[in-house]
Amino acid sequence: MRGYSCVNRRLGRWVVSLPPTLFLLLFFVAPSLIMVVASFRFPGEYGGLAPLVEHGRWKLTLETYRFFFSDFIYAEIFIKSFGVALATTLICILMAYPLAWLIARSPKKHQDVMVLLAVLPFASNFLIRVYAWMIILGPQAAVARAVNSLLAAFGFEPVTLLFSPFAVLVGMVYVHLPFMILPLYTNLAKHDPALLDAAQDLGANAWRRFWKVTWPLSLPGIYSGSVLVFIPVLGMFAIPDILGGTGDILIGNLIKEQFLGTRDWPFGATLSLMLTLAVLVCAGLAAWLARRGVGRHA
Amino acid sequence: MRFLALLLLWVSPALHAADVLHLYNWNNYISDATVARFEHECRCKLVQDYYSDNEEMLAKLAAGAAGYDLIVPTGNAVESLIKSRQLRPLDKRLLPNLKNIAPAYLDTGFDPGNRYSVPYAYTITLIGYNAEKLRELNLPTDTWAVILEPKYLAKLKGRVTVLDSQRELMAAALKYLGYSANDTDEAHWRRARDLIIRAKPYWAAFNASSYIKELTVGNIWLAHGYSSDMFQAQQDARQAGRPFTIAYSTPKEGAVLALDSMVIHKSGPRPDLAHQFINFMLEGRNSAELTNLIGSGNPNRAALNYIDPAIAANQAVFPSPDILRRLEMLRDLDRTQRRVLSRTWTEIKVR
Amino acid sequence: MRKNPVWLWAAALAAYAFLYLPLLIVVLYSFNDSRLNAEWVGFTLHWYTELINDTNMLVAARNSLLIAVAASLAATVLGTLAGLAIYRYKLRILPILAVTPVAMPEILLGVSLLLFFNLVFRPWLGLELGMWSVIVAHITFCIGFVTIVVRVSLLGMDESIFEAARDLGATPWQTFRLVTFPLILPAVMAGALMSFALSLDDFVITFFTAGVGVSTLPLQIYSMIKIAVTPEVNAVSTLLMLLTLGMIVLASRIHGKAIQSTGV
Repeated sequence: MRGYSCVNRRLGRWVVSLPPTLFLLLFFVAPSLIMVVASFRFPGEYGGLAPLVEHGRWKLTLETYRFFFSDFIYAEIFIKSFGVALATTLICILMAYPLAWLIARSPKKHQDVMVLLAVLPFASNFLIRVYAWMIILGPQAAVARAVNSLLAAFGFEPVTLLFSPFAVLVGMVYVHLPFMILPLYTNLAKHDPALLDAAQDLGANAWRRFWKVTWPLSLPGIYSGSVLVFIPVLGMFAIPDILGGTGDILIGNLIKEQFLGTRDWPFGATLSLMLTLAVLVCAGLAAWLARRGVGRHA
Repeated sequence: MRFLALLLLWVSPALHAADVLHLYNWNNYISDATVARFEHECRCKLVQDYYSDNEEMLAKLAAGAAGYDLIVPTGNAVESLIKSRQLRPLDKRLLPNLKNIAPAYLDTGFDPGNRYSVPYAYTITLIGYNAEKLRELNLPTDTWAVILEPKYLAKLKGRVTVLDSQRELMAAALKYLGYSANDTDEAHWRRARDLIIRAKPYWAAFNASSYIKELTVGNIWLAHGYSSDMFQAQQDARQAGRPFTIAYSTPKEGAVLALDSMVIHKSGPRPDLAHQFINFMLEGRNSAELTNLIGSGNPNRAALNYIDPAIAANQAVFPSPDILRRLEMLRDLDRTQRRVLSRTWTEIKVR
Repeated sequence: MRKNPVWLWAAALAAYAFLYLPLLIVVLYSFNDSRLNAEWVGFTLHWYTELINDTNMLVAARNSLLIAVAASLAATVLGTLAGLAIYRYKLRILPILAVTPVAMPEILLGVSLLLFFNLVFRPWLGLELGMWSVIVAHITFCIGFVTIVVRVSLLGMDESIFEAARDLGATPWQTFRLVTFPLILPAVMAGALMSFALSLDDFVITFFTAGVGVSTLPLQIYSMIKIAVTPEVNAVSTLLMLLTLGMIVLASRIHGKAIQSTGV
């Protein structure tokens, strides 16, 4: 019986773990490797990629990387995308914190409903939420007219709200806010109210109680939320496409354009690889910070 | 359950395969009446997919889009498709109506002998504008300067759109500077780029398709676009009873003539239906229908009898020899040039 | 509980308003009797009727549903297997493989799959892009979600119940069939529903991997937004919102039961 179950356990291990592993190796790892190799290949004369082996020789090149580093403009777009991602994350933290805190401090029976309400907009298609802002920020809509009449009263030039960096930022924040609310709430809900009571008894005012007790304890929640916002924003192209103006392209738009515009696949692959590296660096940084933070305040 | 889903997947597309012609065409580039008449004649169904830029179509094909029988690319895209061996040669025996095409539009540089393509329609990339507003602001309407020079743009701030197309916008700037639209000298490209960057702050947006609506509604007063789209805007504005009219004209420095041709893609399953469609569209009456609908230029001599005289007299649709001399067709670029252009375009977008 | 300060209420309500105002406007304007989405003119159901007559939209909806059903089924099966394997056998590579597609920007996954399908599937297998390529792509990023949900559910369980089954003479397969699976079923269902909702809504990955003539609802909406922004977009958005809302509520109900059931 023992021996049988040992063999069975071996078999069981393969039967269970093999299908998903094979699927992911084939459709996730292989494509990623192909992308890495593609960044070293020549572009095809009319689009796509040139053959990997021609006349029996490998046709690989560093030309694409040289092209990437030869002009600062690409680094500039990366920096700009990082800036947008950072701004989005910070604004999300600012907007999500009060809401998450309120929900965490509410009676247990209300919390579920309040969380569901906060996450419900996520139930709608992401493009629809972006499109909603096209309506709200449009030049003939109430918001734009109100803002512009206010500006006119002070003698300023009218501004266009739509098709501007402002619109892109609003769109990014709007789409990612639920991703910040949830981790923050999950964290804040676990705080022991006794700690705050103790702090108050020791004479701390509201601000000190928040800054010295609540905030440090909520840091892991902030880190998870930030990762869930920062990384997706880096790769977004639909929002700048729809809400952005003449200058608001981000790294996602550039990558998309290489594949579906210029037909320069090696360069698109190079950009994607650079983006992957950037994401890995950020994720690593976040993990390191989180470990440090938790270590100090555990 | 999974089997059922898989079965459904396999079955449903197959149900539609019988007698269907797949056409990959520009937005708004064929009239519904023509489609209906063709479907009636061939007893088949015409399914359309759309694109708004040649580059988009070429990129989709390079990325593996297949199953299109017919495509309607512009000259430089035809060139690219021929060189990359994606097209099926035409069987001229099935195209008796080919004789209707004016010789001036046959045997072009990108397809000598018309082995792969047949002219469909042509448009000129020019400027369309709100006639009243521009007159009021005392602005010229016959030059590219009005979208490229700050001294004119200052009066139009936020009311101008340009095409979101690398080739078209650079061509306009190059023509304005006195170069050929097919110039590949990087120094000239840099001058064109700087010109565009200087004008960019005054533009509202890069826009490839919704500028028709924007002009009609009155949000935009000046747009860089295709002559057929401008014609549409003109009609729409008149029909909506707007207090202004849309007019359009070819700039005196010259412009791009886009000759769109019908080609048969190698991967299309129904070349027989495709030939039928091409011959159908070469008939004078059918060809004229497009012109009357969208105001596109028509290379078909037999169509002249059916075209609305007002359109036939329009210089921007049927240019006089004088204007024709200043028009150029775009040629395809090689991969090094494409990469340089792509970087130039990125600079234009970012700076 | 201590009373919440006024400013906290104000800030929280402002956040709620920010979240809901755009959606309310979309829903409201779907009944607007005007082609332009600018001002309110009058009430009409015209756009909904136009939606029902719009064949492109209906085909896109059919495609979206087919893809979502196929992808969520496959992802649920594979993800459950992965969750079980990670929990039981303490694997190290599979967790990374499963979760990374979830954590990376979608455009990277879309682009690498596009390259893969073009360089491997087309030349070697002669297969063109189509609906299947979208389904495969969706499965790839949905597996991770199911894996996480199933694993969390397993972690919350009391190990002793599995030991008890073994002591009573059950083979591993019997243990799975009679003990494990019924216990993780709520988590599996929640994962399936989440995969369905994610697949239905996906835009970026579908954008790169869809073949000719394969339009899904998000792709259709995107092309409508870029070209002709009539209130028909609002109508389809409203309906989509209701559908996805229903799925998420259902998923959370079942997941709630899953969490409860782990305290057996």
